[in-house]
Order: sequence, then C-alpha cells, then structure tokens
Amino acid sequence: MIVGTGVTKTYKQRGGVLGGRDVPALRGVDFAVPKGGAVSFIGESGCGKTTLGRIIAGLETYDSGDIVIDGVSMSGLSHRRRQPYFRRIQLIHQDPYSALNPTRTVHQTLQAPLALRARQTDRSRSWTDERAEELLSLVGLDPGYVLPRYPHQLSGGMRQRVVIARALTMDPEVLVADEAVSMIDVSLRLGILSLLKDLRLRLGVGVLFITHDIATARYIGDDSELYVLYRGQVVERGNTETVIADPVHPYTQSLLSAIPVLHGLERPGPERVVPTEALDEAQADGGCLFARRCPFATERCVSEMPVLGRPGEGGQRHACFHPQRRSVIPVGAGRHAGAGG
Amino acid sequence: MTPTTVTAPGVRIRDLTVVYKTPAGELPAVSGVNLSLEPGTITGVVGESGSGKSTLALSLLNAVQPPGRIAAGSVEIDGLGDVLTLGGEDLRRARGRQVGYVFQAAQNSLNPLKTIGKQLLDLGRSHDVEDLRGLVRDAKELLARMGMDGARVLDSHQHELSGGMRQRVGIMLALVLNAKVVVLDEPTTALDMITQATILRIIREVHDERSLTTLVITHDVGAIAEVADSLAVMYGGRVVEHGEVTEVLGAPRHPYTQGLIRAIPRLSGDISEARALPGRPPTLGTLPAAGCVFRERCERRMAVCETDEPIPVFRDGRTVACHAVDHPLALVKRKEFA
Amino acid sequence: MTVIINPEGVADPQASPARTTRATLRRNFWRGVWRVLRRKPSRMAGVVIIVLFALMGIAGPLLYPDNLPRDDNALYAPPSLAHPFGTDFEGTDVLALVVTGARYVLLTGLATAAITVAVGTAIGLFAGFRRGRWDTVLMRLTDMNLAIPGLPLLLVLSTVWKFEGPLEMGLVLGLLGWGGIARAVRSQTLSLRERGFIEAARGLGLPTRHIIGRELLPGMAPYIAMNMLIAVTGAVYAQVGLFFLGVLPFESNNWGVMLNLAVFNGGALTTPAALPYLLAPLLAILLLTLGIVLIVDAMDEIFNPRLREE
Repeated sequence: MIVGTGVTKTYKQRGGVLGGRDVPALRGVDFAVPKGGAVSFIGESGCGKTTLGRIIAGLETYDSGDIVIDGVSMSGLSHRRRQPYFRRIQLIHQDPYSALNPTRTVHQTLQAPLALRARQTDRSRSWTDERAEELLSLVGLDPGYVLPRYPHQLSGGMRQRVVIARALTMDPEVLVADEAVSMIDVSLRLGILSLLKDLRLRLGVGVLFITHDIATARYIGDDSELYVLYRGQVVERGNTETVIADPVHPYTQSLLSAIPVLHGLERPGPERVVPTEALDEAQADGGCLFARRCPFATERCVSEMPVLGRPGEGGQRHACFHPQRRSVIPVGAGRHAGAGG
Repeated sequence: MTPTTVTAPGVRIRDLTVVYKTPAGELPAVSGVNLSLEPGTITGVVGESGSGKSTLALSLLNAVQPPGRIAAGSVEIDGLGDVLTLGGEDLRRARGRQVGYVFQAAQNSLNPLKTIGKQLLDLGRSHDVEDLRGLVRDAKELLARMGMDGARVLDSHQHELSGGMRQRVGIMLALVLNAKVVVLDEPTTALDMITQATILRIIREVHDERSLTTLVITHDVGAIAEVADSLAVMYGGRVVEHGEVTEVLGAPRHPYTQGLIRAIPRLSGDISEARALPGRPPTLGTLPAAGCVFRERCERRMAVCETDEPIPVFRDGRTVACHAVDHPLALVKRKEFA
Repeated sequence: MTVIINPEGVADPQASPARTTRATLRRNFWRGVWRVLRRKPSRMAGVVIIVLFALMGIAGPLLYPDNLPRDDNALYAPPSLAHPFGTDFEGTDVLALVVTGARYVLLTGLATAAITVAVGTAIGLFAGFRRGRWDTVLMRLTDMNLAIPGLPLLLVLSTVWKFEGPLEMGLVLGLLGWGGIARAVRSQTLSLRERGFIEAARGLGLPTRHIIGRELLPGMAPYIAMNMLIAVTGAVYAQVGLFFLGVLPFESNNWGVMLNLAVFNGGALTTPAALPYLLAPLLAILLLTLGIVLIVDAMDEIFNPRLREE
C-alpha cells in the first residue's frame, strides 16, 4: 500500500542572471495505490503525471507532503534508508528501445539484478538462471529464444516484456508503467496491457498506469481508479469506468472529446467539449487552473480555486464549481468489427 | 475548367516496388503497390512498423535514400507526370512546389539554429521565389489560419515552440509554395490528445479550403478515422485493404484489418472483446518469400496462403488482397467471364 | 508460476542454448570481430600492417646480434639487395636499425596509450557519473592537464631525468596527455547516464561499480578504443620528435635517433647519400599510422552488437 498526501514538486527553471522562474510540477497531490490495486494517472504532457510516477518510483525527490509505503513515512528517512522501500516500486519506461542496454544480452540484463536479489534473499547463484527463465515465461516470452539475444534482435513488444521481466526480478509490490505502450505497435499494445492486468490478478503486483491515452487505462482492470491531472493538480478522481462514461469536470471532458472517433464503427458523443485555448504554462495562477481554457468558466472560476471535494453522486470526486455530466465519448454505431463480407 | 480555377491533382501509384539493400540481398520494403489518390480527397495509409508506409510516402517525392532503391513502378501526378522519371533540378522544384511534405516528427525537421522566418526565406530562395515579401505574407496568413500569431512564430526559434506549434509550422512550410499534393508522415505522433485533435481539425480544414490532395501516413487508426476519406491498410509492404474510411472501419474484410481494429483500445464497448493480434509485425528479414505476408498471424489461414500471394481484388468500392475473402468469389467471376 | 501469457516470442528451432556463459559470449565476440575485419579489404590491410609491426617489436631484436654489424667499406651505401634501405654512417644496415628500433617506439606508444586511456577514462567516467563537486574538481584538474605545455616541460624534465626505458618515456607522455580523453569520456558519460537503462539499473539498486563498469563502459568502448589507437600514433610522433630534436640522450636504437643522425650528421636534407637513411624510419612511421587509421574504421562495428552481428 502506497499513500501520498499533499505531494508537491517545483522545478527551478534555469534563468539568466536574475535567477529562474519556479515551475510547479505538482501542487499537493493526494493518492493511494492499494496492495495489488490499479491506479491510472492521465493528463496532457506537463500535467505532472510523469513527475509523480518518478517520485513514487524513488527516482526523484519531492519538496513537501509525504509518501507512506507500507506504513513507513518516507519523509523521515535518509536517502539510503528509503532505497529498500522504493526498490519494491519499479518503473517501466516508455521507450523500450532506450530502457535496455544495447551492449548486453537479455541474459546479462536479467542476471545482474537477479544476482543482487539472490544475495538479498540468501539464495544460491544457480537460482538466478532458473528465475530468469521463469520470469521470461511469465511475461510471455520463450526463454530459449530471448535469453541469448541482444535488444536490437527483438521487436518493440518483446523488449517491453523483457523490461517488465527485469522489473519483476525485484519482486516488486507495484509497477509504475509510464506510457508503457505508446511506442509499441498498435496490434501488440493490448498484449502488454493484458500482461500488466494478469500480473496484477495472478501475482498481486499493483499497477500504477501513467498515460495520455485514456482508452488504454480501461484495460488494466475494471476495478482501477483514475486520476485526471491538470497542471499538477488532481481535477477528477474515481473508478475508471465511471469517470470515462460519466465525466463531470470540463477538463476530463475535453480530454475524452479529443480522442479520435472511429467513424463507421462509432459515432461521436453528442456533447463533445473543445477547450477554447491551447495549454499555456505561463498563465497566471489564482482561480481555477483550467478557467482560461474552459468553455463553461464563470467569474467565480477566475477568482477562486476549486479543490477536490467529497465523492459526488457518480462516486467520483472533482475539483470544479460547475460540475455537469456530459456524454462526450463515442457511442457504438451498431456495426461490429469482425463482421466481414 | 477555367485556367483560374485550380483543381486538386490526382495521384496514381502503379506497381511500385522499393527494395532495400541488406547483407541478405535486396529485400522489398514496398512490393507491387497500386494506390490511387482521388483528386481533392484525404487518403490515409495506416500500418505498423515495417509495413513500408514511410517508404511509400518517400516514393511520392522520389526521395528514397540508399540503401533503398525504387525498383519498379510509376507515380503519376496530374500536371507533373511520372515523378519517378524526374531527376535533378526538375525533381527538386517539384518538391515543395507541387508536392509538399510534412516530415515525421516535424519537431525535429526544423533547423534549431535559425528562426522559422529565416528558414522560410531559405525555402523561398531555393525555389527562386521572386516575391519574398509575398511569401512571408502567405506564411503569416497560413499560420493565422491555423490559430497562431504569424509574426511571432516567424521570429521564433524551434525550441520556443510547443510540439503542436512546430507541427503547424511544418504544415505551413509544406503549403506555402502552393503545393497541391501534400504528404503528412505521422502528423500527430508524440502530440497530446487535445493538440492532436486540433492538428487533425486543421489538416481537414486546410485541405478543404485549398482543395488539396492529401496523403496521411500513420500507425494510428484513430487519427486516420478522424481526418481521412479513404483508408489504405498496409502490411509487410503491401496494401492489403483499401476503401472508404467508414466502410473499412465499419466492416473490415481483410483479417489483418479486422484484427487491427479489434486491437485498438476503445473508450466505449465491452473491453473483453478487444484482443491483441498474435505474433509480431514482420521486418524486412522475416517477410516470407512466397505466399501471403500475413499468414503467420492470420486466423483464417488456408493451404493456398502458404504458396500463393493473394492478388488485390476490387469489389463494391473496396480493394482487398486475401484468399479467404475474395479468392472463391474472384475465381467464380473469372470463370464466368473468361 | 510458469503460466505463459500471450506468447509473442516464437520458438526458434535453431535457437542457441538458453544459458549464455561468459566463454560463449567471448567466443561470439571474437567471431564478430573477425567478421567485421573481413568486411573491408582495407581493414585486413590494417591488421596485416599492425601484426607485422607487432612481430617486429617482439621478435625484431632477436633476429639480429646485440651489436649490429658494421661495414666500414659501405658508409651511406645506396639501397641494394644486401641493404634494401642502404646503410648508415657506420655502414650498419638501415633495415636492421628500423627493425630493432621498433620495440622501443612501439613499447612507448603502447605504454602512453594505456596510461592516457586508463587515467582519462577513469577521471571522465567518475566526473560524468558523479557530477557535482567531484565533476568540478576533476574537470579543473583536466583543464590544468590540457594547459600544460608538453614540449617545454619535457625539455625541462630531460635535464633532470634521463628517461632510461621506453616505459618511463611512455609514463611521462601518458601523464601529460590524458586530458582530451577525460573530457570526451565525461561528455559521453553525461549523455549516456540519462538513458533509460542506466536509470533502470539505479532503480533496481545495482551497485555503482556495476553501473559504471558493465552498463556505461561497454557503450563507450568504440570511443575509448579509437582514442587509444590514435593515442598510439600521437605517442610515436611525440617521442620520435623528441629524439629527433636531440632533446633526449641516445641510449638505444630508435627511429627518432635515426632521423636525427640522418639530418644533422648525414646531411640528408642536402645530399642524396643519406636519403634512404632518412626515409626508412619515416616510412615505418607512415606505415604504422596507416595501419592504425585503417583499423580505427572498424571500431564502431566491433563494439556495437548490432553492427557486429549483421
């Protein structure tokens, strides 16, 4: 169980002689990843989702707030003491091409962390070879084929599976998948997504899924929770299916409206929302962060900042003064994909 | 047709074969492709890695780089002739003047050391544009049309623009010389959803206003669905299915198209119906020499798929290359008429 | 636990055994090297030249007696069958001088290259990987090293130290010359350490020793190897130059000494008699450099598994 409360992070933008501008990446984010649960963070680039993932994986520090892993507060620990906790949270990179060392075979890649793990758990060295084969089978690869090969000899999907196998060497509690399928061929994406889902259901490995493509978030489990981030703030949060089917925050609605409609297979949602302006990071704070792009903004939105409230009727929480359910997602056109002539 | 009205040109690709030289010999990245872009339409070409879609796009400009080589075929563009017979100066003029190209990840195709305006002037000079002021004016108009402050953008360097803005600059540079055929290679890759939606809308609007013939190359079926009139699906260097976009998406006939559409994560509907295609996309080296290129991943594989390559058959406004779909019917037809 | 989910990797009947031991990896590596070298005739020519020089360095002095025979009747003899490059001022065969002189030159070159690469790589890697204060200190040190004027320092040093063996010579040249490599390796490290696999290794908690030695270093191998080979040529020029200038005492037979004697004693620049004596060591240096340059071309392919295996 990982619980974050009020996690903030501000980057100093390097500026001229007069010093830089502060760029807030996270503005007090609360989250919880239950044991063996699934949580998705969605939003545009620059919304802080990647920063949050890296902080949770221990690859970056946070400025204030706290992260509690299995009841232990990370804020009170030194960098060295935090390491064993964060090692149980493994990051799956977006780019399976740079995540594997091109000069090392898959066998070598898995061997190093397994040897470390063998030392930690008092196992014999010969266990590592068995475990490597076991892990590769687990992620759906043929060990005999993959082990002696270099990354360039594998397809993108196979590499991503190797990356997942490598993360599993540490027997992690949570996998943080940062855009883990965006660079994989379309026909293979679902394979990786259902692998993550299966790992969760079979082995109880929690999944923290970070993506800009909301549709993929549905495929890691119907019990998953969705967080919609906008400029470092959670603006809507709830069960994934609920938030996608019945979004109440205009930003969530804009994101969902932007997803292309497969014309012929589905029809666009009747109430699609289009933001009035492009994202501008430099825009002044104060008031709702989305107010300037929001087609429904009122005077109150400009002067006052909404906070994430209690769960509403649909069960989700939102940070909006004028929540309104709108049907924005495409609806089926009544024809089935597979029906060929 | 009066001389003042400019109509969109048609493009006809015939039996195009592009081979790449590898240590294992010359292997075809594009193999006997036939594809017509109807004047004034947007054609989408969708395919995964190794499908040959980018090579096809480059062939339209006769710009395949070594170790690649266009081995056979022709690319006829109205008012220009066969692009593949052009060379040297004629070819250079055709690129930009007649055929505009928006490169894959346009964010990286701009020169980081020069302002956009300087790059625009370079483009103008290299095409001997007399009226550079007019060129700048056109560029500003185009940028304004796409929702940007033209003067500011022309004064900017590449790093001062966001991904979506760079993509729009790429489109502007492709259109500013009044090209009537436009090729966009992965125009929305690496863009956020909202930005992607904006770019797709702009592509559609600009296409209609300037009466262009547009080719969009992408791996993203969704992007094509939003913007294109007709859709060509490529696999292993072949066009396996081609037809009207809503028809192809609504009732795909080729097993690959069916599998691909079933593999797309969707916002609505039963997620348990979706599944990945088994196997993996072919690479140059793993393409089978004979038979159907898709057979290893195909559910409807038959004995004939091992030996004979399916011939694309045109029926009911749709071209499909598959034994399982068209072979029996096509055979019957031939017997009747031959 | 061994459930296979959505198999993607197709079983390959000819797949090599699953467990790749170090020995097989090493065998595959050398097979790859051989393949890369055979790809271009120029590389094989380079290999032949280098092997020739290596043999010369190892076995050369054994072919001739300790004191090379003199022939007082044939001072500055022109090239002939007995003396392919003529003779020197004492009537000693020039070819024999070149062959026996190779060991000193090559040993110095190797020692210099080994030291520049070892020191430069270590400092560059450490500075680039640790960044921060270490980086600042080590880079200032590197700047100082780069700023040392080599030749004047050597002139001063030679007054107090006689550089008796080739290894001492190499040590001094090496300690003077590591700055460039350190800077280059540092910048490579800075870019490599941002790659996903380095971050993954840190996330897995792998020790720094492993990350630097096994993840970073192999990626820089082509770079380091190229620098090392080029350092050899640099060292050869430097010492030959020093001997030619007569800065160093003539303790042993050396190509630089030959050049010096040919020019200043034999007047090779004005009279043709000593010309072969001058040209022979020059030709040797030229050939050695050529051999190295031809091989450098293969380094990228040797150390990049993709280019190697193709």
